[in-house]
Amino acid sequence: MSAPAGVLRVLSLAVLGVGAALLGGVYAVAVLDRVVGRAIARVPLRLIDAAVTPAREAGLLLLQRRTVTERPDAVVWALAPALLGSLAAAALVAIPLSPALALPDIRSGIVYFGAAMAMVMVAVYVHGWSANSVFPLIGAYRFVAQALSYEMPLALVLIAAALPAESLSVSDIVRSQTGAWNVVRQPLGLPLYLIAGLGLAFWGPLDFPDAADLAGGTRAELSGAPLLLWRAARSAVLVAVAAMGAAAFLGGWLGPWLPGAVWMVLKTIALLVVLLTAGHLVARVRLERFVVVAWTVLIPLALVDIFVSGLLALRGAGR
Amino acid sequence: MAGSRRATLRNALARFAAGAPTRVFVLEGIDAPDALDVLQLRPDITFVDTPRSATVLLVAGRLPEAMHEPARRAHDAMAEPRATIWWTLAPDDGAMLPFPDATVVPAQPNGSPAAIVTLARMLARTQAELLCAARPSEPALLADVDPAPWRGVGPYGQGGAGMTGGVPYGRPLAGRAPDRDGLELDQLPVRVGPFFAPFPAGLVLDITLQGDVVQEAIVPGNAFVASGGDGSPVRVTGDAFHAALSEPVRIADLERARARHHLRWLARMLRVHGLDALGHRTLALAASLADSLPRGALGDVGALRRLLERTRGLGWATAGVGVIDPRLVTGRGLGPVARAAGLSEDARIDDAAYDQLGFAPVVQEGAGERTRHAVGDARARWRQRLGEAMQSLELAARAGDRRTGGEGRPIEGVRGRSSDVTRDSPSAMLLALLPDLLLGQEWGDAVTTIVSLDIDVREAGRAPGAAPLSPPPAPQPSGGMDGMAGMAGMAAKGDHTEHDHATGQM
Repeated sequence: MSAPAGVLRVLSLAVLGVGAALLGGVYAVAVLDRVVGRAIARVPLRLIDAAVTPAREAGLLLLQRRTVTERPDAVVWALAPALLGSLAAAALVAIPLSPALALPDIRSGIVYFGAAMAMVMVAVYVHGWSANSVFPLIGAYRFVAQALSYEMPLALVLIAAALPAESLSVSDIVRSQTGAWNVVRQPLGLPLYLIAGLGLAFWGPLDFPDAADLAGGTRAELSGAPLLLWRAARSAVLVAVAAMGAAAFLGGWLGPWLPGAVWMVLKTIALLVVLLTAGHLVARVRLERFVVVAWTVLIPLALVDIFVSGLLALRGAGR
Repeated sequence: MAGSRRATLRNALARFAAGAPTRVFVLEGIDAPDALDVLQLRPDITFVDTPRSATVLLVAGRLPEAMHEPARRAHDAMAEPRATIWWTLAPDDGAMLPFPDATVVPAQPNGSPAAIVTLARMLARTQAELLCAARPSEPALLADVDPAPWRGVGPYGQGGAGMTGGVPYGRPLAGRAPDRDGLELDQLPVRVGPFFAPFPAGLVLDITLQGDVVQEAIVPGNAFVASGGDGSPVRVTGDAFHAALSEPVRIADLERARARHHLRWLARMLRVHGLDALGHRTLALAASLADSLPRGALGDVGALRRLLERTRGLGWATAGVGVIDPRLVTGRGLGPVARAAGLSEDARIDDAAYDQLGFAPVVQEGAGERTRHAVGDARARWRQRLGEAMQSLELAARAGDRRTGGEGRPIEGVRGRSSDVTRDSPSAMLLALLPDLLLGQEWGDAVTTIVSLDIDVREAGRAPGAAPLSPPPAPQPSGGMDGMAGMAGMAAKGDHTEHDHATGQM
């Protein structure tokens, strides 16, 4: 096989694989969120309804015409949902489903993931800003304050997870957990990661930019396909958060009996259920309070996590 | 050929999508039927929080004149295909509806379950017909023109002498003022309401925002009060509490109505904080109290309370927000708000019938040994109302046939003392507290505060001296102070008062 053909094959596989993971993940979020929500609301739900209704809703939005505000930044407004979705896709690329299905096994995968996720701030900010409307703009302002607060703990706990592996590759991080998963070795890591992850996906208690008190915030002026795309993109970010959490803290594909990829999917779904349940049980916290807690509690705890993990890794290496 | 295949595909998609829950945006009028709650509980209906993505505009009750213009803007903000349904107790009063094409659905005062099913089917059919193009989408009601020509004052149309402030192109631009940290930052004037989903129905506020901090809040009158005339709006049909002012009423009915009201309020509070599922559960509990007292109601409310307290989710969002000084509300008969601030004020204390039941008011205690929480904040208010709902259910269960009211003595209503609807209006007093309370709050806290007070704008409109809604303040066409051009440009993006923009008017 000639080199260009090989590259092409890998590329098309990567696009197909990531596309399938994205679509499946986004739909899974819609279905799971419905199931969890109905369970908490104590409303019986037929499984077929849970499975089909999100598709019907998507169809409805596809048939709805888009609307415009007065003098929006039209290009940016149209592209912001696509940017958010692409960032989620880019982040998913770094996460291996199994040793065989690590499409491009990026050597600095964890840094790459962090870089893609840092850009989420840009997507959300310009999305709110470009609508040229008050509540989307306030949502955009809020997200900047929020992003500055969750990004530090997110980056720190991921670096801590990389320390025992002595590698920034996500596959190596998974392999390093053969003896004990990081959730056991670094008990602070996963909780901090999930809190920061809720902030990254602006979901549930940390949904500041698209909050109910802003009548939807950055998406308040959206209808039709752009609304569908924005909601899907936001779910995709949550999927990326859960998948990385499964790889970095729950041992990724490691597990008995089942194929590795199945373990990875199950662990991702488990984390999604945790995140979605938090979204239904914990009210949106106060932004000011979140910023204070992030800087006085979460970041110091993340630093403790990284120092202790570093110390343990050094002792392990010295032995 | 390709065209017809496309049409077939589109039709198939439309038929499939027609089974989706109907996306409804509600405009609440003067006599919005109570049964809106029951409608909201149905799985085939989704209440959306902006008109943008709604397919059906549901006008519930009659809209007073001050709401006609905002209602038309909300209508035009909806994406096509769209339709309007008017659900009203008085279908002959066409003067109270600004929509010529609306389908009229008569409502019953005590919405029967069958009537709600009929309405829900009507909504679903409307959405299905719109999607399948069996029903034409309603045209815009307002001309899609710029509200002011894109020509301003000054050499660059910037509106004034400097780069900020002024009214360039007829659009108010943010001025600059020191913020809470002493920095010079942009201030944005916005009118919010009367259809802003998180607010109580009909509430309108003129707000000056700096970032998301409220620097000024003004209540520019009451949208339910008719301009001209005697200023009194249409009377709302009486509930149990109104009835008790003129005739004896069963305590069991009164207390059940009180518990239902508090639960409906809690559902609203939960939804505003993003807890839709818990809000749904609470609303279902409230709806179950509509006609009789179900056996397990007290246990269900108790379970909900334990869940809310154990998860702490709502507590984190409300602790320390919107603190009301007890001295401000002493002796004014503000019911749950006063009791949440630690005041033992309740018209039921002096009622012999309640005395026989061994009634003692639920009151939030001050910062005790065990809690660090302040009394009189939004957290105290939801705990207070939840506590009162449980107490009411317990009283209702053992009140038997005891009656109260009809002796000219004040009645403890759901929002406080009511002796004569034209004299005592807790909502009017709470509305008057808003400007001072909201000052300096972040927007999210401001909304929490507003919802936590449980203001009924209709009730406030019945108070003597309630003024009709005044037009939005005209921006001052003077130049602002000089500022950094970059910041000014950013501020301009946030400005809008035009009909193209839905949310500012909602």
